[in-house]
Amino acid sequence: MTSGNPDRQNRPEGAQPGGALQELPCSERVAGTAFAHPSERVAAQILDFYRIRWDYEPRSFPIEWDRRGNVIAAFAPDFYLPDLDLYIELTTMSQKLVTRKNRKVRRLKELYPEINIKVFYQRDFRNLLLKYGIPVRERAHAEGGGLIAPAEDDRG
Amino acid sequence: MASVLIDEDRLARRIAELGERITADYATRPPLLVTVLRGGLFFLADLCRHIDLPVRIDFMAVSAYEHGAPGQVRITKDLDEPIEGVPVLVVEDIIDTGLTLNYVLRVLRQRNPSSLEVCALLDKDVRRIVDLPVAYRGFRVPDRFLVGYGLDLDGRLRALPYVGTLREEALRG
Repeated sequence: MTSGNPDRQNRPEGAQPGGALQELPCSERVAGTAFAHPSERVAAQILDFYRIRWDYEPRSFPIEWDRRGNVIAAFAPDFYLPDLDLYIELTTMSQKLVTRKNRKVRRLKELYPEINIKVFYQRDFRNLLLKYGIPVRERAHAEGGGLIAPAEDDRG
Repeated sequence: MASVLIDEDRLARRIAELGERITADYATRPPLLVTVLRGGLFFLADLCRHIDLPVRIDFMAVSAYEHGAPGQVRITKDLDEPIEGVPVLVVEDIIDTGLTLNYVLRVLRQRNPSSLEVCALLDKDVRRIVDLPVAYRGFRVPDRFLVGYGLDLDGRLRALPYVGTLREEALRG
């Protein structure tokens, strides 16, 4: 058995084994969006590739108020996919932060039950990138954590 | 090499059941069975022989990003005939993220088939991004690397008569 990757299941035709698919096309929209995290840029590129419209952090949902009714905590999911009426949140970070984010997502669902949201954890996202032959590097928490494609290293 | 997840007998029984259901549901208007190459070929071949209707079959292929080329997902092999007014059943070996199938369904829907449904042998729904209506589902499967019965590892192992899982060490070996 030569090299193989457990996460390339159902790889699209054309995606090459061994990570030849190193960089997804970068639309003007992706290039012009200030993503908070490199993994969000890669996610946007994948959505673009599959012609799925997306908005980046289009809405912030208040999830906690003080006694006077002032918002003291809000949650802005990373993406909204209007054609699917779906919010997506990527959590490519440490387990401690994931726990905090899970709490926020739970609260969001309680307060806004009409909202559809899917959370992608680091493993899900790594699987997705590897499926498309995009090699990934796991960043140290001190560097900001999460998974990034090597091309993102060059971009800083 | 691969551990058996779904053996030949289970596959055969389930595919026969799906064939019976499809036969009943499409009794008045036999569907055009469309498969996205290449993995679905094996499932299609067995399924259509369990559909007791004069079904027709056709194929599509969808390209992923090619290194250095700009653009988006596109069809590299289209259907041979128009499908306007035709009941279409898309036959897939496996659905996971749903991204490719979502694109295929959008393309087909624009051609105004009289109906458009999905029959998937394997549904790895834990990895789904785009929720798709799967009218006929063979098996829900875990998030493991699967081979056999059309599913490949770098182009190999498609011809295994069962659906198997590979161990991590085998994949890295």
